[in-house]
Amino acid sequence: MSHTVLVCDDAIFMRTMISDILTQAGFEVVGEAETGREAVDRYRELKPDLVTMDIVMPDMGGIDAVREICKNDPDAKILMCSAMGQQALVVEAVQAGAKDFVVKPFQPSRVLEAVQRILG
Amino acid sequence: MDLSRYATLFVTESREHLGACSQLLLDWERDPRATEPVVGIFRAMHTFKGMAAAMGYSNLTELAHRAESLLDVLRSDPGSASPELHDLMFAIVDALEAGVNDAVAGNDSALDFTGLFAGLDNASVAAQPTGSWAIPARIPEPVVGTTGRVVRIAIRPGAAMRGARALIALRKAEGLGTVASVRPASASFDQDEFDGRFAFRLESSRTDDEIRTILLGAGDVGSVDIGDLAPPIAPAADDRAGAEGTGRNRQIRVDLRRLDALMNQVGELVVAKGRLAELVSREGNPELEAVSARVARVVAEMQSEVIQARMTPVWQVFDRFPRVVRDLSRQLGKRVAFEVEGEEIELDRALLDELGEPLIHLLRNAVDHGIESPAERKRRNKPAEARVKLSATRERAGVAIRVIDDGAGINRQRVLDKALRESLVEPGSTSLTDDQLLRVVIRPGFSTAAQVTDVSGRGMGMDAVVSRVRSLGGSVHLHSVEGEGSTFTLHLPTSLAILRALLARVGDERYAVPLTSVAETLEFSGARSAEVQGREALVLRDQVIPTMHLRERLGVGPRRTEGRRPAIVIDVGGRRLALVVDALVGQQEIVVEPFDGPRGMLPVFSGATILGDGVPVLILDPAALV
Repeated sequence: MSHTVLVCDDAIFMRTMISDILTQAGFEVVGEAETGREAVDRYRELKPDLVTMDIVMPDMGGIDAVREICKNDPDAKILMCSAMGQQALVVEAVQAGAKDFVVKPFQPSRVLEAVQRILG
Repeated sequence: MDLSRYATLFVTESREHLGACSQLLLDWERDPRATEPVVGIFRAMHTFKGMAAAMGYSNLTELAHRAESLLDVLRSDPGSASPELHDLMFAIVDALEAGVNDAVAGNDSALDFTGLFAGLDNASVAAQPTGSWAIPARIPEPVVGTTGRVVRIAIRPGAAMRGARALIALRKAEGLGTVASVRPASASFDQDEFDGRFAFRLESSRTDDEIRTILLGAGDVGSVDIGDLAPPIAPAADDRAGAEGTGRNRQIRVDLRRLDALMNQVGELVVAKGRLAELVSREGNPELEAVSARVARVVAEMQSEVIQARMTPVWQVFDRFPRVVRDLSRQLGKRVAFEVEGEEIELDRALLDELGEPLIHLLRNAVDHGIESPAERKRRNKPAEARVKLSATRERAGVAIRVIDDGAGINRQRVLDKALRESLVEPGSTSLTDDQLLRVVIRPGFSTAAQVTDVSGRGMGMDAVVSRVRSLGGSVHLHSVEGEGSTFTLHLPTSLAILRALLARVGDERYAVPLTSVAETLEFSGARSAEVQGREALVLRDQVIPTMHLRERLGVGPRRTEGRRPAIVIDVGGRRLALVVDALVGQQEIVVEPFDGPRGMLPVFSGATILGDGVPVLILDPAALV
């Protein structure tokens, strides 16, 4: 059975792109979220194998969402999606419980490597 | 870049890594199929190679590189290594150890490893090179002093967000066990200056390989270097670190000469403090007294800190002994299980440095003369594998180091015969006590070996061992049971610079006698004295102890024949002597000053000290008196 993924990003473009990369690699994108709050709710409801999380999102940012998700499920496998120059935020996210990160602009191979690392 | 600045560090670290190699080679030899020793040697060799390359020592680098290549192949099948290959590796480690000093002296280009290269070529498994081996960049020294292995990680230079990546690697490490002493601190990972290299200590039950694999799985990790298991440290140091609120124990390397200089300065301060206290007490000014008391407290604390800073665990010297014993027992065709105990016990560094040679002699002695041949052991119904143990234990006044063997013990009859022939004991003596035995055995040139072997011809003699230990303020004891083995015990002070001493007055002067040599004090009287062979002696519980009147010996005046005459019984390696003095002043800690007595001075002093009242006092050398 393929792994299930929840994709969280406030930009449709980004969600689409990430979904495409993962779907082509055989993952099943079971849900999407536009805000941190939504991400937390959908995670609770879908229990996906993997979450991709943007850092900057309205209504609870990605980092707070990570914190919230990990509070209930410390083993949650969350991949942070960050832009260049956001290292401090990524560090914070990792401290909050994110398992890995990729830096935009995304290279499909880099994204998949990171996903493999998390799920491997 | 001026590399000479790094030479000392290179020598020190190389010694550690190559020392580890020797240790691991022994482990490997003992258990040829075990992977860990080979991996450890490989790693140490790799690290050494990197350092040598960074220093520009191409010959050392080349030898280390080729050894590493061979080890790389052997890692996957350690059992395939032949005994000859083990010997080759030992030879390489030896050559590197010797080469380090040559290289630092500027003679790297003169090093010739042709023989070893040929050996490496013959070990055909060395076919594949290890591939690229970039010189490991300078990674911040991780803190020593906590427990666990040192792990050094370098994130790939081109990786995005190295700090965040480093943190992920650190998280992975935390999942493997207890992580401590992260350097640089993880809080600084997101700083621009962070270059992706960091180190920490990891306490984990996982093997090095497992750890490496998992950490490499953090992504963008360029290299994982896992260092040696750290020895446990004294709990006191932990407590102190905790008290400082850091919970961490940062360490740096300090040149011993600096500590010596600091020690001397503190010594001066101690003297000045005493003088100050005395002057202040005459003034009767409470405010001044309070300040003086505070100065005294601070100086005392400072003194103990400096002494503490010089303390070094004995394993730093003991570590090379397993190899010595192994080589020797092989050479002599004996089977010996060597055991080390109390490696964590600490001694003053200067003292420890002086102990290496005497201990090697005692160990050689044990293996060569003490331990019987396997055939002989069989005949005596003893296990074919003999036991030699080196142990360090804390004692009341210092530290005791013992070399224990379960060999034949010393042949008392033979020693007695020799002693009688040379008039070392009273004619007609039929037995020797342990003390007497030692006294005969330590005579220069004395040997009871049925045949003088190559081994016994090397290094210092037993007499040199004893005089070295005495010069350090210690003493040597021997206990030997024929057929069961011998134990040599070295009693040592923990520090050279500070001595507990008994102060005695003779004439107008006071003299200090190191407490480590004082057996007891008593009142000398006619009733206690006896005459043995025309010499005055003191009778103490059936024991006859020769006396020495210090007034005479020190040229103060004629001996006193009546009145209070306290005597100090000193004991040096079982030899006793009663020093008759004018008065006992008391016990106190004294700071030993470097001693440079004038020519023609009586050779009975080992040093000097300055007491609180500013008056210099000579320290008597018990070994020279007995």
